[in-house]
Amino acid sequence: MTGGTRGCAPAAGLIPAVGPSTASPTGEGACRRCLAGAMLRHSLAGVLDCCARDPARLIDLLDLQDDELISAIGGRRRQELRLLHRRLLRQAPPAAWRGALCRHDRRFPRALGGRGGPSVLALSCEPARLQRLTAGPVVAVAGSRRCSDYGAEVTRALARGLAAAGITVAAGLGDRLSHAAHEGVLQAGGASIAVAARGLGRAGPAAARGLLAGVRERGCVVCELPADAPARRWQAPAAQRTLIGLCSVLVVAEAQESGPDALAVRLARSQGCPLGAVPGRVGSPLSRWPHALLRDGARLVEGAADVLEMLHLAPLDERAPGAGADADCGGCGEQLDARLRGVLDEVSAGSGAPEEISCAGARDALLALSELELLGLVVRGSGGRYRRKL
Amino acid sequence: MLARAHAFTNDGLHARHVTVEVDVRPGLPSFAIVGLADAAIRESRERVRAAILNSGFEFPPRRITANLAPADLPKAGPGLDLALACALLAATGQISQEGLAGHALLGELALDGTVRSAAGTLGVAQAASRAGLHTLAVAPPRAHEAALVDGLRVAPVSCLRSATRVLGGGEPDRMPLRGAQAAQAPRRDEPDLRDVRGQHHAVRALLIAAAGHHNLLLSGPPGTGKTMLALRLPSILPALSSAEAVEVTRIHSYGGSRVEGLAGARPFRAPHHSITAAGLIGGARTGAIGEAVLAHNGVLFLDELSEFARSTLQALRQPLEEGRVAIARARHSAVYPARFMLVAATNPCPCGHAGSERCTCSEMELARQRRRLSGPLLDRIDLVAHMREPGSTGADGEPLMSSASAREQVLAARERQSARLTGEPSRLNGQLASAPLRRRLGADARAEQMVRRALEAGLLSARGAHRVMRVARTIADLDGSERVRESDVGAALALRPETAL
Repeated sequence: MTGGTRGCAPAAGLIPAVGPSTASPTGEGACRRCLAGAMLRHSLAGVLDCCARDPARLIDLLDLQDDELISAIGGRRRQELRLLHRRLLRQAPPAAWRGALCRHDRRFPRALGGRGGPSVLALSCEPARLQRLTAGPVVAVAGSRRCSDYGAEVTRALARGLAAAGITVAAGLGDRLSHAAHEGVLQAGGASIAVAARGLGRAGPAAARGLLAGVRERGCVVCELPADAPARRWQAPAAQRTLIGLCSVLVVAEAQESGPDALAVRLARSQGCPLGAVPGRVGSPLSRWPHALLRDGARLVEGAADVLEMLHLAPLDERAPGAGADADCGGCGEQLDARLRGVLDEVSAGSGAPEEISCAGARDALLALSELELLGLVVRGSGGRYRRKL
Repeated sequence: MLARAHAFTNDGLHARHVTVEVDVRPGLPSFAIVGLADAAIRESRERVRAAILNSGFEFPPRRITANLAPADLPKAGPGLDLALACALLAATGQISQEGLAGHALLGELALDGTVRSAAGTLGVAQAASRAGLHTLAVAPPRAHEAALVDGLRVAPVSCLRSATRVLGGGEPDRMPLRGAQAAQAPRRDEPDLRDVRGQHHAVRALLIAAAGHHNLLLSGPPGTGKTMLALRLPSILPALSSAEAVEVTRIHSYGGSRVEGLAGARPFRAPHHSITAAGLIGGARTGAIGEAVLAHNGVLFLDELSEFARSTLQALRQPLEEGRVAIARARHSAVYPARFMLVAATNPCPCGHAGSERCTCSEMELARQRRRLSGPLLDRIDLVAHMREPGSTGADGEPLMSSASAREQVLAARERQSARLTGEPSRLNGQLASAPLRRRLGADARAEQMVRRALEAGLLSARGAHRVMRVARTIADLDGSERVRESDVGAALALRPETAL
């Protein structure tokens, strides 16, 4: 979630007389605060690109509030960025953001309205179409950028079957596996959602232009960037986050644990999204991880029927926004005792250093912090300070 | 005529016996030295000639050949000057040849005949005693160092004339007075932990590091007392054992330091961050030893760790892993002991205020800093102590403990380790290999489960888990606990170096 809007009450922070759920006079359905947050991230693209080497950290950063983000990565430019942010809040949205939706618009996808995910989305179609596409279950397909012919063929067949069954398929844009998914959907006459990592006004690779036109015509292309933005490195993990936020089930076909594909699975797991994996050829390095996921409990997916069965087993209401991360204990399912609760409250309040914990002795504070870290509730950051995990 | 004198040359930390043979016969005047002599020895021809003439002896206009046996051993340093001159005088009949027997001669000659000190006197004295020689003639400043070896008569000789008198059966010069360095009692102005106000967390980490011989990283903003704390580490470490003291003294004697008695305090070496890899581990020239070797049995303190060249820090991997430095060069190779405790201090980021609002570093700079410090060296550091700015943690508060009480705790913890690790190659937790660590850990079920959970959660690597167990064992030893408890592992986890920067 682009945090600039997290604390934004529906009526506050919006352009007066526009309101969160109605389009502005210029036709945009995004409030000024959300747009300022998105534009701020766009102007921080260089730093975010650098952070994208550690995708998990990047996702943590993107979840921060605007002012927290400036503090975290602004460096020497902090003051300048704060001024810029104030200016962005005041100025009229640029034309490149025309047609964008913010999370305060009722047409914004409901699945993205909880914790995590973008606060502004630029759409290639009318918001009503995206609303219609995301009204039912959405199946995301993810995998290696360098998939084999086998991976592309299986994905194409899977997407074709799902589209024929009336299920919306979502995938990235710009890699072979995603293209195979969109092709399959188009072959069945269905509509897919493509999550792009570059501005909608930018032409993609020449080879995929016909495909993109098809997706635009029947489905929807969404993006977190203004229309004229080039592809940025930080957008790849951010697009995966949007993709996982939109989907009801994630299917992995041909992926490598060490590659960027791992992020989608990690995000899906953290959000409690059911996971399916397509078995691959034994001996292929691209099959190792899907097989490991299958061993770890992912559903075996041989065709569209398996996914439909998964959707039946995992009704949508189980995936209410934020269901994967229990606000109290990060989904660990345990109740914290008073000692850990006290320390966690202090860390949440900003006492991140072990010696700043006042509710426990020095030794007990260290033990409590380590236990909280093992529970995944706090992380140790710069200068040995602990902070609440987002 | 032929004459033989006994001398020694340094080969690594060992002194090797060299027989200096001088042959004088009629022919065109010349002075040749053979036997793998280095440049310093080849130049000694001029020093010996001038010293002999200026001491009132005669330098014969004959064909002079000096051989340094064994011929296949490379000889280095100017310490053979005195033996060369005395053998030459005996070969020309100016002193008696019988006098040379049983005497070892060590010293560099000045042009006026004065005898100057040579490095490695203690090692030479030990070797002379082992070789069955009864007297060692050295320059007076080195006489006390040589006198540390029992069963060897030390003859201080200030000039070539004094040396010939000793060889002729006369009295040597007087032993010089001991300097202030010889006093064994600790100095009153030695830094004390009482001076450190607040920073209790870091002081505790220092205590744990000292008790278990763990490598420690001090991280914090500038001016928070990282260097101040590190300088107080020697004051809480146990004194050197007698074997360690001899070893330390010999290394420092070889390094060229003036030694007047057995080393009492543990070495504390703090090289500047511009040091090169050769300066740190040695090998810049034949026989040169580095700071890591000079810190043997003591502390190597690397202030501003992130400013050290990466190649320099990489060179520390072998000594940290094996406790020795093996130097192999084209013309010489040597192995030196280098078992030291590494203490490093660094700012958490280039501006020093990482994690606080005051930090002005860009993400690129932070990433660069992390890359600089992470990797093999950080992998060998057992615990990290984070220092805080005054005010945030009561740095203006009370000192946690004095050096005396900290030292008592360290001694008690080391005794417990020593008793528990009887029969193991190392008696300190920080130096324990993984197999004996598992055998002798004595952790209770909850503690083991906590380490397992940390491994499963990806917080620790396998090596990191061993490190945490070592530190937890030391914390339990400091508390006098037989078993490693969950709280010990919790504290060790909070002090682990991973992701701490």
